[in-house]
Amino acid sequence: MSAGVDFAALGLEGLRVDHAAPFRMRRVAEGATVLTALDGRFAILDDDELRAFARGEVEEGSPLFEKLAGANLLADSFDVPAAAEMLRARRSFVGAGPNLHVFVVTLRCNTSCVYCHASRANMDAVHTDMTPEVAEKCVDFALSTTNPSVTIEFQGGEPLVAFDVMKHVIEYALERNANLGKELEFTLVSNLSLMDEEKLAYLIDRRVQICTSIDGPADVHDQMRKLPKAYGESGHALTLEWTRRINERYREMGLDETLYHVEALVTTTRALLPRWKELVDTYVDLGCRALFLRPLDPFGFADKTGDRIDYPREEYLEYYRRAVDYVIELNREGVEILERYAAIFLTKILRGEDPNFLDIRQPAGAGIGQLAYNYDGQIFTCDEGRMLHEMGDDSFRLGDVHTSSYRDVVGHPTVRAVVIAGQLAGLPDCNDCAYQLYCGVPPVHSHKTQGSIFGRMRESTLCQVHKGIQDYLFAKLAEGDAETRAILERWTTIRPREHFLHGA
Amino acid sequence: MSEQILAVPDAIARADMGDGSVELFVDESLYPLEAVYGASFTFLDRCFVFLDRPQPGRLRVILSAKKLGASPEVLREMVGEFANELLACAWREKITERNRATIEAVTMQAIGGAMGPPSLDDLEDFDFTEEPFEDPLGIAMSWEEKYGKKTAPPAATEGDEE
Repeated sequence: MSAGVDFAALGLEGLRVDHAAPFRMRRVAEGATVLTALDGRFAILDDDELRAFARGEVEEGSPLFEKLAGANLLADSFDVPAAAEMLRARRSFVGAGPNLHVFVVTLRCNTSCVYCHASRANMDAVHTDMTPEVAEKCVDFALSTTNPSVTIEFQGGEPLVAFDVMKHVIEYALERNANLGKELEFTLVSNLSLMDEEKLAYLIDRRVQICTSIDGPADVHDQMRKLPKAYGESGHALTLEWTRRINERYREMGLDETLYHVEALVTTTRALLPRWKELVDTYVDLGCRALFLRPLDPFGFADKTGDRIDYPREEYLEYYRRAVDYVIELNREGVEILERYAAIFLTKILRGEDPNFLDIRQPAGAGIGQLAYNYDGQIFTCDEGRMLHEMGDDSFRLGDVHTSSYRDVVGHPTVRAVVIAGQLAGLPDCNDCAYQLYCGVPPVHSHKTQGSIFGRMRESTLCQVHKGIQDYLFAKLAEGDAETRAILERWTTIRPREHFLHGA
Repeated sequence: MSEQILAVPDAIARADMGDGSVELFVDESLYPLEAVYGASFTFLDRCFVFLDRPQPGRLRVILSAKKLGASPEVLREMVGEFANELLACAWREKITERNRATIEAVTMQAIGGAMGPPSLDDLEDFDFTEEPFEDPLGIAMSWEEKYGKKTAPPAATEGDEE
């Protein structure tokens, strides 16, 4: 057996490799084995083709020869310049510097999520609001990045609680950037329950992209994300109401609704697993064009409530497959909606490009692709590193905006350590995995779950999820259905949201 | 009170329920010392960790649970997790050695790109007083130092010979 391939069952004694360029392999379905080349191109072989390949019986000019040569899998025709160019394209983000700057403008939040990853504070904890002075220093720090593009993402707590701080950050950043000329973008991650027309008018005027959380049907959402009655009867209803309202404003402005809409994220809890169809329907009814079926993270309150809301990852993968099967079915009927995990992996698999999703790339984005700024000006490799700080673990703290220089922070030994740990070429299992060039593991996750930034992928729940999703996607591609393939290819289209860019 | 809690010989691992600790024995010909350090380190938050070498070629690792009253399941988990982490560390060291060039190149590009070039202020702050570089070819030496007439070293005194 090798990566699920049972040579004996296929009537093979082994594998002749003298005719093959270096490759990795994995069984993805009955009668379907994927071979990936050094440059990330791939071929899916049926069992007859695999036998011929394994025996070295690939006749030049045959369909199998063309298939293997086209994926750069044959030694004689191995195209070195093309492989180098493809590898460069897959790693285009390396060396660009931090683009994502997470600003925790307050820890205060009016909602109590059972799995809260953000380490919320009560509404009277005003000492957890970022001061204007700290906010300006954070902006100065973020704009020091070597990256020509900067995204300032407002997180919390609930950022709308500290709306004045947000406004100050935006105005100050725009003013400072007038001379710097960076491509500047603002993103708000909010439960939307404190939104009002005045705030919305400002956010629309300043072209702030808005993201929210919708955890499925109302009963699950309200059970997981508890909003006190003082703010409304149902957090779910408020979030949906404002999502519709914001999307309506984009339409009124003449923006393309397939591109400009509230981005909503799912946090999958145990109660949601059997409700996959209702979840998808909720998103479709709302006019969402994407849903992101994220499993539960091990940070924040989820560390303590896991007994009640977590689940074995086999069950998550079953839920994922059912939900995405349904999403594909809806696409066949003309509904345009994609699943974000699938889109990230497919962009790498089918297009040979990296969409630069910081948690599924290598090296991961911690420190070199993102920085997180706590309300008090402390700086972390990533938002998850900041969450660990709130849980009493300072492993990912890099400094603070008061005393540290930009170069101190991004050149910090911790950043170097996580960059090394985030390279799959140095990790057992990953090094030999057929999905190495499409995958990535944030070292902070391995640190939290396994006590080492390197982790042990065979026992990692994140690896299980990533492998399971890619197995599913390759199995779909192996089915050979042209319409399915066209749908999956459509999900890989990268279209920049230029309306949200300042200074471009 | 030593008890067998895993289906492994006593010579590899054994538990002491009274102490809430486990003893593991590592064959040094199979695992590098760095792997033993790496695996042991991941237990510091839960255990007191003791290392010694009771006999040549054999290391002993004692993991003593910080929380009193560790159950057999907890001790069994500690042994299993240590063994898996030890293998992961040993194998990772081999892989890193093999892929060192790639990993170093990517790391340098990632960090260098994120840091950018030093500013004049950075250079001003740079401490040039240290002597961080070895100079085996004498490139930084003056002509006189390198080729000038050598004076004989002072004769050793009694004090120098002690």
